[in-house]
Amino acid sequence: MAASRVLSRALLEEHKSRGLLIAGNLAAWAAEPILATDFLRLKNLVDEAVSVNEDVYYAFIVNARGEILVHTFTNGFPVQLKTVNTLSDSQGSNRILLNTGDQLIYDFAVPVMVAGDRFGTVRLGLLRTRLSRAISNLSQMMLLGTGLVVTLAGLTGAMLARTVGKRIESLHQSIDRVMRGDLDVETAPPLKRNCWDIMQCTRQECPAYRESHLRCWYVAGTLCPSCVEGEYAKKIESCFRCVVYKACSGDEIQKLADSLDFMVRTLKNHLSDLKAVGATLSEQQQLLETVLNATPDFVSLQDKDSVYRSVNKAFCEIVDRNREEVIGKTDFDLFPRARAAANREEDLWILKSGEALTKEERVGKAGAERWIHLVKLPVRANDGTIIGVLCSGRDITEFKQLQERITQSQKMEAVGQLTAGIAHEINTPLGIVLGYAQLLLDEVETGTQVHADLKLIEKHTQVCRKIVADLLRFSRHTESKMAALDINEVIEEALAVVQHTFGLERVVVKRRLTAGLSRITGDAEKLKQALVNLLNNAFDAIGSDGAILVSSSVGETGEVLFSVADSGRGIPSEHMDKVFDPFFTTKGVGKGTGLGLSVTFGIIRDHGGKIEVQSPLPSVVAEQMEIMGEGGEDRVKGALFTVRLPAEQGQKPLLLS
Amino acid sequence: MQMRVCRALFVCFLLLSGCGRDEQATRVDLTKRQSVNLTEQKDVITYAFLPQYSHTVSYQRHHLLIEYLSRETGLNVKQIFPNTFDDHVRMVGEGRIDISYSNPFVYIKIARRFEARAFARAVEAYGKENFRGQIICRADNQEIRGLSDCRGKRWIAVDASSAGGYLYPLGHFAEHGIKREDFATIDFAPGPGGKQENVVLAVYSGKYDIGSIREGTLNVVANKIDISEIRVIANTRWYPGWVFAARKGLAPEVTGKINEALCGLDSGDPKQKEILTSADIFGIIPAGDKDFDAVRNLADRLSMDLN
Repeated sequence: MAASRVLSRALLEEHKSRGLLIAGNLAAWAAEPILATDFLRLKNLVDEAVSVNEDVYYAFIVNARGEILVHTFTNGFPVQLKTVNTLSDSQGSNRILLNTGDQLIYDFAVPVMVAGDRFGTVRLGLLRTRLSRAISNLSQMMLLGTGLVVTLAGLTGAMLARTVGKRIESLHQSIDRVMRGDLDVETAPPLKRNCWDIMQCTRQECPAYRESHLRCWYVAGTLCPSCVEGEYAKKIESCFRCVVYKACSGDEIQKLADSLDFMVRTLKNHLSDLKAVGATLSEQQQLLETVLNATPDFVSLQDKDSVYRSVNKAFCEIVDRNREEVIGKTDFDLFPRARAAANREEDLWILKSGEALTKEERVGKAGAERWIHLVKLPVRANDGTIIGVLCSGRDITEFKQLQERITQSQKMEAVGQLTAGIAHEINTPLGIVLGYAQLLLDEVETGTQVHADLKLIEKHTQVCRKIVADLLRFSRHTESKMAALDINEVIEEALAVVQHTFGLERVVVKRRLTAGLSRITGDAEKLKQALVNLLNNAFDAIGSDGAILVSSSVGETGEVLFSVADSGRGIPSEHMDKVFDPFFTTKGVGKGTGLGLSVTFGIIRDHGGKIEVQSPLPSVVAEQMEIMGEGGEDRVKGALFTVRLPAEQGQKPLLLS
Repeated sequence: MQMRVCRALFVCFLLLSGCGRDEQATRVDLTKRQSVNLTEQKDVITYAFLPQYSHTVSYQRHHLLIEYLSRETGLNVKQIFPNTFDDHVRMVGEGRIDISYSNPFVYIKIARRFEARAFARAVEAYGKENFRGQIICRADNQEIRGLSDCRGKRWIAVDASSAGGYLYPLGHFAEHGIKREDFATIDFAPGPGGKQENVVLAVYSGKYDIGSIREGTLNVVANKIDISEIRVIANTRWYPGWVFAARKGLAPEVTGKINEALCGLDSGDPKQKEILTSADIFGIIPAGDKDFDAVRNLADRLSMDLN
């Protein structure tokens, strides 16, 4: 209705403009005839205006004196009409609407001007009734037309909306499925003609060939001559011009569905790749964790704020917490404040300087102290900036102990060399003292005090000579007479020397010798000496009333073993490391030189063997000696010296029990 | 709820937007009729300017002069507008034109036919008592370089009764041995009115090769066309200028008052100069019938029919 009214107004305005134009033209044309007082031309003008224009109801011209010059009425001029629309000299025109009872008429008054002077007025009556009827009809037509258009548009819109809605619902369902994790959606309908039909293609190697669910413009590496190589972003511009795309791309909703399918397929592929990468990463992480956890060194990674980001198992053991309790914590949560502050200070120095820090430090409580070797390294990002600190530490307590032992050995070696020198120098005067003492003994009568004194001198000189001889044996590599030996024979020879003496003190010597042992290469005398030393040591440990077990056997790797076990008082644990040290003895002054075991150690070492000591006796050995429960606590401890000597090469042991 | 209200308001707006207040109509009864009669003014002295220009131009040029005459003489002087030269001549004979302002050729006609008598003549705007005709062509017309080139050409003249626009140029051609029959055609400008301008426009448009006008016409059309496109081939001799004549029987005292008023116009007076300038006249001087014998002689030489 608004449109109808606007149209009506426009038509009405046009109608008025037309009336004014006709009246204006009439006024222009009337100027000359008025001047010429040419009534015929004036009459023709007004008649023509009425006859040519159907809507012009009347026209007349009034002269400057207000007299009617010509008019188009028949049967006289309407009296009221002349004065109903007056026009002042200042007005260019005037228009009023007249109601004659059965007609609506626009009356226009336009002056006839010549050289600025008004010579008259043209009056024109333009029917509005006809126009109103036309407008009314037009409005009805428009209303009807609008109604029809609206109805048609509504029906068409409803049909379209239903179709579009159905397809959008399908899209929505697909998206819903995707959101639920189902990536096997195919939203776009199958094509009527596929690219291989349109292009008459038979290239089966093309990735889009016979893949009806794919849209070739989304597929990389298609083999059409017009295809541009590359992924979607590179080839799509050329695809836009392709006949396949034009034929198959469909409307906007189908394009949307195709895009969704392509997007979901791409997403699926990316997810598969991601899963594979994730699995690899997980495997790598597990591997790394395994390596890190398997290493005895403890490893930790801290960020710039010294917060632990990663630690291995060894680290967790050191701080006695599990991994979850360490990650995200700082040293202040794990260590005493002073220690944590020191660590933080070190971390800050590394973060600032970018240099590595290496140090050894002793940790733990007194009596259970451990030595730790620490390396702290800055961790850099790809751009070189330092993002954290990697700390790797190792328990070097055993290394430290070994280092101490090496130092001790070196010290003892120096002592040995010193001792050898001294012994060599003492040996000669001792020989002289002994010689003269023996010479004097021959000259002095037996039973006298002098003889007794000389005997005492001879005895202690002999002791000294033995000490010196032992020292020389310990420190000097005397020439060995190496030969193939049966260790059992050596044992028997050694036992023959000492067995009688031991028997006097009721010390029983037992044998568990394994026959058929591999022969060894060695100096029989030296080995006998070593064995005698071990037996003497055992005897000294027992004192009296005890048992000594001598056994021989084959080792796990084919070496030859022999051992001496005693039922003596055993060796205190604090002395275990020192029993082979020269001059180490627990015997009273004058009872032992402290060189016996040292000499034995040297002999075995020279034969490429090893000697070990255990105290108290292992229960198996104790049982073999049948000493379990015998005597007091001291007596059952005992000690076991085991010697391992390499078998002669090429020998195979003949194991006989 | 809010949506429903909005929809209802929208529908109401659509329905009501079609309604509007109509214009107020004035009631008029066309059934009451009466016959129309024009009242003839009495004691009117009619004045006519030979319609060589349009009535509008004629009015523009002379209405100040008419007002002046009415004011000076106390007579009810009105300008009337004959459509053609012939109408002018005829209306003088019929007594419908009391004072005729015409060219000398028309004057000698009305003098001979209706015994009209000249009492004053105009001094042209350029200060001369006489005026002349001009023969024109298009400035780019290469075929016409001199008067002799006009032979065989199409000639448009102002009117058979025009002095400057026909009689004088015809005399000029005759003096140079060119006769009427030497032209392809001799046509006269269509009327009524505006005949001088029509000649210039006809030549300008190329419809005619040459045209004849009174001197001064080119300035009249300067606002309509580019007058540099028009070339003046030749100017005629000088002949007496336009003439004020009284019809036979007009009271001598009326003629005397008018003559006195006309000749009393002083170009030194700004207001009166405006009257003269508007009428394209430099001044008005007294005249007698003999002043136009030269024109009569020319008409005779050319065997023009003055009856």
